[in-house]
Amino acid sequence: MIDAISRHRSLALLAGVILAQVLLLAYQIRRAHDVRLIRYWSVQASAPAARSGTWFFSHLGGFWSGYVGLRNAHAENEQLREQVGQLELRNRELESQAAEAHRLEVLFDFRSAHPEAQMLAAQVIEASADPASETVLINRGDHDRVKRNMAVITPDGIVGKIVEVFPDDSQVMLMTDKNMGVGAMFADTRTHGVVKGTSDPQPLMDYIVNDEKVSAGQTIITSGEDRIFPKGLLVGVVASAKDGNPFQKILVRPAARLDRLEDVIVLVTQQELAPARPGQSFTVSPAPPAPVQATAPPLNTGAAAAAASSQPSVKAPQPGGAAK
Amino acid sequence: MASMLNTGFQSEQNVEVHKFYSGSVVLVAFVTLILQAFLHKYGRWADVVDLPLLVVIYFSVSRRNPVTGLLLGAAIGMFQDGLSHDNPIGLYGIAKTLVGYFASTVGARIDTEHPFARFVLTFLFFHFHQVVLAFTERVLLNQPTPFFSLHLLIDSLISAAVSVVLFAALDRLRRSN
Repeated sequence: MIDAISRHRSLALLAGVILAQVLLLAYQIRRAHDVRLIRYWSVQASAPAARSGTWFFSHLGGFWSGYVGLRNAHAENEQLREQVGQLELRNRELESQAAEAHRLEVLFDFRSAHPEAQMLAAQVIEASADPASETVLINRGDHDRVKRNMAVITPDGIVGKIVEVFPDDSQVMLMTDKNMGVGAMFADTRTHGVVKGTSDPQPLMDYIVNDEKVSAGQTIITSGEDRIFPKGLLVGVVASAKDGNPFQKILVRPAARLDRLEDVIVLVTQQELAPARPGQSFTVSPAPPAPVQATAPPLNTGAAAAAASSQPSVKAPQPGGAAK
Repeated sequence: MASMLNTGFQSEQNVEVHKFYSGSVVLVAFVTLILQAFLHKYGRWADVVDLPLLVVIYFSVSRRNPVTGLLLGAAIGMFQDGLSHDNPIGLYGIAKTLVGYFASTVGARIDTEHPFARFVLTFLFFHFHQVVLAFTERVLLNQPTPFFSLHLLIDSLISAAVSVVLFAALDRLRRSN
């Protein structure tokens, strides 16, 4: 190569001088958009190589990420699965905490709405192992000055009463227990009766004569005659009513969600609670009443309160009667 | 005419290389460039004869050295570009570089002392110069410069005629061996 250049020195010099002047010209000449020709040439000369390089490296990168990168995909997938599991667990914890916070908020609101009544907040820690026994255990006991026959309620409605007191815990008999009776009355007609447990989810309201006009959805509240529950607490609503002998057979849908109790309130006194202000609600998880057709023909109200005395924990609904 | 041309051709070994007084080449080139630029403002007739081109042809043919010829052509051409107000540097430079190279190559092979040979040589290199110039302008500047025209033909004939007189005058700058 060098020998050839030496042999044709003048020709090589000519080529060099011409090339130098062409480059000089290209540096001075401006094409469209005021671009120097030498720059235009440089771009045109380098663009194919740059495009090829870009194409090569982009495809190489795509190959790497698409195929070789799959080697890491499995491990990453496992890691992400584990992370998703942890996040789901954490999410459930947070949901549970949020629900608990909501329940406590409702209890607090209920407590704030009734400053006149002494009450204790408690948590249900255990249910009865006996299917026939509708009882639960709460974490309040003798140390908290809990006594037998104290009423246990929720902001939704009544729950039951204390039947056994232990140092730190207490046993609560639910209103659905077959040994439980609650002095009650219809909120609208003020007709008195007794809500008796049957060990079924829906207790029975007894001592309502067949002449009494009862329809599904009627609200039932405590009458206060059992000396356990203060007057005016929500018991539930009529699920169905039909004629019976000698009284109507009225099934009651409890207002409190007895199947999912978590936080309850123990009423230390039997002081009557002030009625809730208009628009005030303490419902945690409202259960809409089922559209049950009332089957009982309207009958005359009767003195059914006396029959309530047959319930072991309920005094006969006679005015001024003593509690058990 | 053929006999005149034939008498002008000699073998390469017998061609004489002429030398000039020191500085005469540079001085002549400089004067012709200045003269060309000076005469340019007096009208188109001054552009008929490209004096720097004639100088390049003369010295390249006389020196008979391609390297000297192309460097002289490049220098005079770029100087001429520099003196013109709108030509990019290198336009005349490329054309005169090639003229200088090929003129010296031709000068090394044929005797160019005869006036007719000088006339023909100038005529041909004038058009070669024009072709290179037009090609460069077309390719690089996108300008439709003609390769050949009647005007160019007339100019080439005038330049060739002037070259006969000019070359004879420049012969006086040669150093005698």
